[in-house]
Amino acid sequence: MFQEATALDDIAVKVDCVSKSFTQWHRKEGKRGIFNQEKKIVTAIDNVSFQIRHGEFVAYAGPNGAGKSTTMKLLSGMLQPTEGSVSVLGMSPEKDRIALMKKLGVLFGNRTELWWDHPVIQSFEWKKVVWNITDETYRRNLDMVTELLDIGEIRNTFARELSLGQRMRADLAMMLLHSPELILLDEPTLGLDVVAKRQMIDFLKKINQEAGVTIMVTSHDMDDLEEMAQRILMISKGKLAYDGSFDGLREITGNLTHFTVTTDGRIPELEGCRCLGGQHGVFEYEVDLSRLSIQVLLERLSHTAGIMDVEIRKAPIEQVITQLYQVWKCGGSAQVTAPPAS
Amino acid sequence: MVGKVKIKRYFELLGIYARMDLASLLRDTKFMVIAITADIVSNISSISGIFLLAWKFGGIGGMDQYEVLFMLAYGNIVMGFLNMMGGCNALFPSRIIGRGQWEHMFIMPLPYAVQLTVGIFPFTCSSSLLSGIALLCVAVCKMEMTLPWWWPGMLILQLMISMVIVVACSYLFSSLAFYAPVQCEEISSTVIYSVEHTMTFPLSGMPVYIKYPLLTIFPAGLTAWFPTMILFGKTTTLENFYPAVFALLISLAAAYFFRKGFRYYVQKGINRYVSGGHRA
Repeated sequence: MFQEATALDDIAVKVDCVSKSFTQWHRKEGKRGIFNQEKKIVTAIDNVSFQIRHGEFVAYAGPNGAGKSTTMKLLSGMLQPTEGSVSVLGMSPEKDRIALMKKLGVLFGNRTELWWDHPVIQSFEWKKVVWNITDETYRRNLDMVTELLDIGEIRNTFARELSLGQRMRADLAMMLLHSPELILLDEPTLGLDVVAKRQMIDFLKKINQEAGVTIMVTSHDMDDLEEMAQRILMISKGKLAYDGSFDGLREITGNLTHFTVTTDGRIPELEGCRCLGGQHGVFEYEVDLSRLSIQVLLERLSHTAGIMDVEIRKAPIEQVITQLYQVWKCGGSAQVTAPPAS
Repeated sequence: MVGKVKIKRYFELLGIYARMDLASLLRDTKFMVIAITADIVSNISSISGIFLLAWKFGGIGGMDQYEVLFMLAYGNIVMGFLNMMGGCNALFPSRIIGRGQWEHMFIMPLPYAVQLTVGIFPFTCSSSLLSGIALLCVAVCKMEMTLPWWWPGMLILQLMISMVIVVACSYLFSSLAFYAPVQCEEISSTVIYSVEHTMTFPLSGMPVYIKYPLLTIFPAGLTAWFPTMILFGKTTTLENFYPAVFALLISLAAAYFFRKGFRYYVQKGINRYVSGGHRA
């Protein structure tokens, strides 16, 4: 485990051997299929266990249909596990739903909690009454989210007239009005442009670092996740496939590193490195640092003629994850072992 | 206490929904006044056919025209009050389930029963109630009968029993939506609208094979006609208790099957969200 949680009161989320099955209707192709429809049991989550400590910012990733949203729904009490137990902030989402919802913030990117036919501020006031938020807390949080999420201009706009980015910011603001201790975000950057995405990422990092809010977020944008989170849980075919750091993930897939070489026009021949392409004297290479050490690489570069400049950087996490997804899709082992915490 | 919510807090919750409804009304007052007026005209028109028949023939099946008018008004009050209180689809739970709106309810820190009963829309959804009260007053005045002191209390009691029966029917059938959310999304509308359309028929003088099913299997007769008979003393003492007993039994059945369906929903139910499930 990346962070072995021991103190019980330090644990914000505890998922213990949880499985979740659904029933799905299947129909075969052709005319016969009409008379041959059957119900199948689909296991969305298969014996998953993990813990998240207070104040952690955890990314939860996996391919489409891996079970990310199902896990989020289990944690927020929208579904109950078929097997195993879930504890969120020391409470059972099933039995202590009302008490838990006062401390939990949930945001699903594909839906809104805003009242569609009312201004944003009306939804905020509705939330104040329903969540029984004190005047002082409401005013403080409203001022904070208005400033940090830049929603001053859209507070009086009807929710149905907001753009997607504005709606997401308004939804995020509304979610934070009751000062939640734990936030569950399911694809919060879905469909956002670069500016809106940047605002959201900065804001989430800020409330995690400054207010100590525990955050668990799912997204398909791995670069965003790496920027936000310190730890990543990866799920594949319902099983927890990886739990560790992003750097650890790179090491698993071969510790791939990219570097760009600027030459006087010649194409350098570098043993142990793969040329990804280039032109006009600028070439990009990929190297597996678990096979070729950085010292050896630098030595080879220094002995290569015509090199004028070198820039080394980590392989994009997106590429690392793609590699993993492809292995899983081809039937490779879902579970990979995390290296020691770095 | 309502569940675990204190009365004061319950009224606070009612208040925020009422304020939101008022804001909707005042956003475009001209349009809203036209809509409410049209709604009232529509409500009165929908019952005028039966009333005019009763007027023409001096009553229907032993009920005079004003008793018929009273029954029609009674039905309007029952459905009008429920429509006013059920602003957030509380009267149509299968819609909440089928549209995935229950997922919004999961994350609200309130008991489900409270969430379902505080969504009051008193300004934009009260036309049926208002027209019903007006027509009831007209009917009572025209009947020129001396009513005992306890009669208004009995009227309120019968109205409450009728409402319980309508709501219980809706929740009983809506339990199916937990198992088949898409197919049964509108099952509560079918139940409610069927009751609403059937409740306005005076069953006096009808053959038993019509009357009895409408008092048991499909209890539309218990939501206007039978209570009217009770209120005008046209039933036996034993019969007077029948609507209350029926309401109790059907409520228990609805509560049992709804809870059972709900457990299925959270344990094995749908895991995909319907895009139309936003708060509206």
